[in-house]
Amino acid sequence: MDQPESNKVWQRLQRATGQLFSQIPVLAQVWARGYQALRFDSIPFTPLTKPLPECRIALVTTGGIHRRDQPPFNMADARGDASYRRISTTTPDAELTVTHDYYNHDDVRRDFNILFPRELLHNLAQQGQIGSLSDCYSFMGHIEPPHRTTLIQQTAPEVAVQLRQEQVDAVLLTPA
Amino acid sequence: MCLTSLKPIAEQVRSPRSLYLAWPFGHPLGEPGNLAQQLTVLHAALYGLYIAEPGEILAPGWRWRRESYTIPAGWEVSRDC
Repeated sequence: MDQPESNKVWQRLQRATGQLFSQIPVLAQVWARGYQALRFDSIPFTPLTKPLPECRIALVTTGGIHRRDQPPFNMADARGDASYRRISTTTPDAELTVTHDYYNHDDVRRDFNILFPRELLHNLAQQGQIGSLSDCYSFMGHIEPPHRTTLIQQTAPEVAVQLRQEQVDAVLLTPA
Repeated sequence: MCLTSLKPIAEQVRSPRSLYLAWPFGHPLGEPGNLAQQLTVLHAALYGLYIAEPGEILAPGWRWRRESYTIPAGWEVSRDC
């Protein structure tokens, strides 16, 4: 569906702002002070009682990472995309790409470990520093209403169910 | 454990545990090719799971590009590429 011209202008502005924040982090800090994020009344805290070499770890990112043979995240919708991609722990970095226009990911393409440390966690598991690494999950972190509701009510709970099914002990979340 | 580069937002969201580093967007574990930096962040994040209080934002204060890092003991991993 075509977007109104005003939405396209707003989307271009948001993309440019994200790219600028990537280059000048202090501007991002100033912006964040005025940003009204989601707030929650409680903190869902679970103590971790197993030693790390026995823990199954999951990696969840909002960096827009996906396999090249998976559908890219939707960049045409100015309100974002609440879907996710599941990525096997053994997927080589050469088979990965990024679809996320709201930050500069040139460096991520050079070395996925700076945002999506699948390779490092996989190798740490092989060496016994962590117990194991489950499949990884990737979102595209530009998600505005109404897609935010989809994220909260549908896609994030789906990932949570899968993490539970995979008997994950702890999750590392990495932002864009 | 949630890595974050924006503390004001982390303070609002109140995830169970956070690790704050004021680094540029797209670089939560540091610079490309800097294995010691990446493993240092990973080590702090994973062992932070045991020390962080509910809602705590751990802040090691490492600077961007003006810090020297060493690979955490026992974490000498090989790279696939």
